[in-house]
Amino acid sequence: MFGLAPALVRVDLTVDRGETLLIRGPNGAGKSTLLRVIATSLSPTYGGGTVLGFDVMAQREQIRRCTELLGHRTRLYEELTGEENLRFVCALHAADPRAIAPALERVGLTDVAGDRVRGYSQGMRQRLAVARIILRAPDLLLLDEPYAGLDAEAKEIVDDLIDEAKAKGRTVILATHDPTRGRNASRVVHMDGGRVVRAVGASG
Amino acid sequence: MTGTLRHARAVAAKDLRIEVRGRYAVGSLLPFAGTVLIAFGLSLGPGRTLLQQTAPGLLWLAVLFASVLAFRRSYESEGEDGALEGLVLAPVDRASIFLGKAAAVIAELLVLEVLVWLMVVALFDLALRSPGVVAAAFVLGTIGLAAVGSLFGVLTESARAREAVFPLLVLPLATPILVAGVKATALATTGSAGQAVSWLGLLVAFDVVFVAAGTLVFGYLLED
Repeated sequence: MFGLAPALVRVDLTVDRGETLLIRGPNGAGKSTLLRVIATSLSPTYGGGTVLGFDVMAQREQIRRCTELLGHRTRLYEELTGEENLRFVCALHAADPRAIAPALERVGLTDVAGDRVRGYSQGMRQRLAVARIILRAPDLLLLDEPYAGLDAEAKEIVDDLIDEAKAKGRTVILATHDPTRGRNASRVVHMDGGRVVRAVGASG
Repeated sequence: MTGTLRHARAVAAKDLRIEVRGRYAVGSLLPFAGTVLIAFGLSLGPGRTLLQQTAPGLLWLAVLFASVLAFRRSYESEGEDGALEGLVLAPVDRASIFLGKAAAVIAELLVLEVLVWLMVVALFDLALRSPGVVAAAFVLGTIGLAAVGSLFGVLTESARAREAVFPLLVLPLATPILVAGVKATALATTGSAGQAVSWLGLLVAFDVVFVAAGTLVFGYLLED
């Protein structure tokens, strides 16, 4: 529920393993809410579902081990440096800290890794959030407007990340307004008013 | 359990690093506590006996108010750019987050209390007859305060009326800690440390209850 209006209504969606699903829709369509429910950040008021075979209500921890959500907010600590933020991610997600340096290099933040995030631009913060995904290499990637605030080079990094995930058989669900993105999506779902109004492409 | 402690240590280290960088304790809490002590000291007048009798109460009041600010600060950093969602989505025992946040606040408050204590000794000419009992009272009281504050701080992170809600939740629960702490400190400074044992026992009981409650309940509060 969003206020008194339901944010998602009778959304019935199946995403196969290894699929890249693109979700489109206007603001308030329910795209972000859907991704947050899948990530177990939000609980559905009614209904349910499974993610990678795990129940979204009863097996949240198992889902969290193998998913990563890149949302509107970067979830970074401003007083920590870029590297320290990633070290904290490693500590909580049992990721290998040796992967931090390559991840930072890939998103082009090696030179500012020791600087506090407080001094980062929005684009740099978004790059650091992308580095978190590289670090964790999750089975399910949930990308909610991942191109927002990124320059062309960084957008390519995100696209490469999606391509790489697809090549490795990982599942990607991407929500974006950007009509130039989502080139490798196997299916496109259009949402409006909290409902899936149209699906293009075949599941599986 | 090893994983829980390891994750708790990571959360505590992160909070302390943020605290040290932000210099919030030194910049805000200490001046606040100092102002409270000086204001009360001036209002009570120059009578040494009265000052010494009221010093334990003033000391604990200053600590309590400073701790409320510290708890709020502890969760403010989680509110920046949605960091709390990162904790929610971390596949770790929820108790480790609670214990980590409480441990960071305990460390922060203990440093603050040493400085405030030195201030009280200097301003009120307070004798330190049983330093062990005073130290025990502060350590035990701080654990209880940190447990209460860390437990309810997560609720106010998302509450619209953060400023009003948090003190309403925390202060009533902190009152028994305050009373026991004041009594134990007063007895220790007047040379009756032996009688402080029962108050220290009460503090231990509160610590056990609040730490256990926090460990068990925090996950539900964090998720919802």
